[in-house]
Amino acid sequence: MINFGIDLGTTNSAIAKFEKGKVEIFRNPISLKQTLPSVIAFRKNRIIVGDKAREYLEKDPNNVVGLFKRKMGTSETYLIESTGDFMTPINLSAYVLKELKNFIHTGEQINAAVVTIPASFDTIQSNATKKAGYEAGFDEVVLLQEPIAASLAYANKEEDGKFEEGMWLVYDLGGGTFDVALVKIKEGEMKIIDHEGDNFLGGTDFDKEIVEKLVIPYLESEGKFENLEQELKSAAGKYNKLYQVLLHKAEEAKVILSNATSTEIEFEATDDNGKEIEGFLTIERQQFENILAPFVDKTAKMITEMLERNSIEQSAINFVLMVGGSTYIPYVRERIGNQLSIAVNCNIDPTTAVALGAAYYAGTKPMKRKQEVPAITGDSTGPRISIKTGYQKSTQDEEEVLVAQVDGDITGLFYRIIRQDGGFDSGLKPLTTRINEELPLLKNSYNYFNLNVYDDKNNQVATDVQVIGITQGRYSVAGQPLPNDICLEIDDIESGQTALDIVFEKNAILPTKRTIIKEVINTIKKGSDDKITINVVEGPSYALPSANQPIGFITISGKELERDLIKGSDVEVTLEMSESRDLKINAFLMLTNQEFENVFTPSERHVNVTRLNDELVVLLEKLNAEIQEAEIMEDYRTAQELINLKTEMRSLIIKSKKLTEDDITDEKFQIEDQKRKAALLIDSLTSDKRINAIKMEYFETKKDVQWVIERYDGSEAEKSALEHIINKEKSFLASNSPLRIKEFTEKLYELRGKVRWRDPEYVISLFYYFASKQDEFTDKQKGAEVIKVGEKAIEEEKYDKLRVHVNQLYSLLPEEKKITELKGGTGIG
Amino acid sequence: MQFEKVPGQLLTIINQVHDLEKKLLKMENSRPLARNLNRIRDQFAEMGIKYHNPLGQPYNETRTDCEATISGTTTQNLVISEVIKPIITQEFEGMPHIIQKAVVIVEGN
Repeated sequence: MINFGIDLGTTNSAIAKFEKGKVEIFRNPISLKQTLPSVIAFRKNRIIVGDKAREYLEKDPNNVVGLFKRKMGTSETYLIESTGDFMTPINLSAYVLKELKNFIHTGEQINAAVVTIPASFDTIQSNATKKAGYEAGFDEVVLLQEPIAASLAYANKEEDGKFEEGMWLVYDLGGGTFDVALVKIKEGEMKIIDHEGDNFLGGTDFDKEIVEKLVIPYLESEGKFENLEQELKSAAGKYNKLYQVLLHKAEEAKVILSNATSTEIEFEATDDNGKEIEGFLTIERQQFENILAPFVDKTAKMITEMLERNSIEQSAINFVLMVGGSTYIPYVRERIGNQLSIAVNCNIDPTTAVALGAAYYAGTKPMKRKQEVPAITGDSTGPRISIKTGYQKSTQDEEEVLVAQVDGDITGLFYRIIRQDGGFDSGLKPLTTRINEELPLLKNSYNYFNLNVYDDKNNQVATDVQVIGITQGRYSVAGQPLPNDICLEIDDIESGQTALDIVFEKNAILPTKRTIIKEVINTIKKGSDDKITINVVEGPSYALPSANQPIGFITISGKELERDLIKGSDVEVTLEMSESRDLKINAFLMLTNQEFENVFTPSERHVNVTRLNDELVVLLEKLNAEIQEAEIMEDYRTAQELINLKTEMRSLIIKSKKLTEDDITDEKFQIEDQKRKAALLIDSLTSDKRINAIKMEYFETKKDVQWVIERYDGSEAEKSALEHIINKEKSFLASNSPLRIKEFTEKLYELRGKVRWRDPEYVISLFYYFASKQDEFTDKQKGAEVIKVGEKAIEEEKYDKLRVHVNQLYSLLPEEKKITELKGGTGIG
Repeated sequence: MQFEKVPGQLLTIINQVHDLEKKLLKMENSRPLARNLNRIRDQFAEMGIKYHNPLGQPYNETRTDCEATISGTTTQNLVISEVIKPIITQEFEGMPHIIQKAVVIVEGN
């Protein structure tokens, strides 16, 4: 079967494929839209088809051509100024067809297609369309009238796949053109009886009218303007830029008014006297409909005239099938239904219906010649073309030059370079033995480009060229990498200890800056001695905080506050590290609107005596706990090593207690050093145990989630969320950072809950679990009521209702009072 | 591509934030507001979503990160003179992918 269907439209085109009873509409790999504007630009030595070409259509008419379908079958040609060539409508249509081949992501090549034509096309115009197909490289082109294609799309959407005998209208109102066709089916044969149209009527006219009838009077009432309309519409007019903005806003308003009863157009303008106008115009749906009415009535009149000349009563028409983007507007549908007293049928996607119908038809048409489908043209001995590329792989510039040497027979071949993120497309350019192309780069990113070679039918030709990869800004030659992680010490409520949150990873390139938001764990009263500490340390993020080197801190006490700092309010912490490793810490308290800043240089060391005391006490407690645990586990060797350390710790605490905050001796630095060494030792003796437990929890939860997803038919999104976590597994497990691993375990828990939430048994068990906490509810009477209705929902198997009741019960539980005081903590988490 | 599709509502929110940033540039004493906006921007970046205002950058037909309307009479040496919507990218496997092209007005320089 031919299988491929193409809507070769006056303003837009599309391609679709029939496969196993279904049709896929292909998307443009660059714009990701399902349609391609039928416009070709010849700019310098590039050939560009589609969206980019349309941008230049009005302003560069000597090199950009559109609407050429209207000239199909005529002897009219277009002189292209930049190339000096004459182009026929056939040549131009072939470019559109060739570009549509690029939409086929499956990589297969097409040798045959069903191509649609307007109902108005005569034999010469039809043959011209076929010729365009052959020029684009198709061996076989089957034509199909557009209204028939739309009707087929509808017929295939119906369950029985059949039309009853009778007549209907296909009403096609697009962006710039209007067509209507009277279609009849008799004895299984679908036929167009008559058609009518207007090549200059469509959605863009509505946008222009919104600007003209509503925005211009508004502007004139708000400011002083001479000849406003001319100055807006003329390309050289002083308000032409504003006009283009207003057209965009009008188009947006048009789309919104299809769903809402009113919308606003917001814009900024400056009048002739330099007065700034903050434009804010409300448009009611009624105003929009008043604008549409004359246009829609005009189309209705064409239909009644067409029916009259065929002596057909409106009652003989079964329905009006709506096609074209402008039929999304509810008023168009209603007005046509009312004016003609015929039922309106909006059951198909109006923008892709023609391509869809063409593909359905193609799925039933056998090919005359056997299709040969080589994936990419080449021969068994290897690629036809050899390309050697040269470029800078890492750069600070925003553009890099690609130079390539091409060997092989390049006659009639083209090349095209596309950046993989979709931000650059060189267009088709003739292949020469030497390529020289400036490639624009995304800042601070890896940029990958594909260089592909095509023959004159736009079929891809095999080459040996690799993907071109250029890194912009990421690895500065001058920048030096960080030797260690830089972390922020935060309170870990769960464990009752502090933990490290990584801010800059080891090997990050300096200078670097990052802002993170943390919450205040306990309320700090204004004027009190309570405090929060922003403590920044250098060293592995998986180690104990006290094992790392402190490199800077800010302490904010209640005495410095302008008002109480409430628990749960945000602290915005910005860390900035220069190339010479100066550290700037900036803490901004969102609630009190206060900012604290401190700069630390690596040549100075900063030790906060109060904090040092707290840390020593916490470390001793930890040491005791670890000794006890090692003894329980009968790991006497570790226990003994830890006991040896205990004496040293005690003496450090005694020394530290004697220090004053303004101590000027080196002692605090010595104690700090010894503390760090002791902490490192504890860490090395016990870290494996901690990390292993956290990793074990992750693996067990992962296994559980995999089972749950399989058992409860997890959705594609849920499967992909799990896959996303597993893909990152290698990196976060290798980090050995407890916080990072826990973060992903937490994500797994959330995912598991989400999947199981669909399972009635799970919801029932949750319900009874929360119901058992009745005595703890904040509102016991309400709790009893919710339990009653919940039990009823279980009885009636109304699980959606039950889910609501589970949430209600949950909200009645008091917020668990977690650890509110953390000895030696930072006060942020 | 396998990355998760960003909901349309999120794109609308980013476009609104971008509009706020544009208005902020014209305001005096905008620092307190800039802080909140920067924070929103940082949060989007943490989600792998970045937006970028290409105002003032050169424009030609190879820039497929923008949907442009040309104002004025020339098509040479075009520069982006008005940004209605910003470029939005989403990071996937360490690489950004454009999920919204900028909507811009361009003019001859």
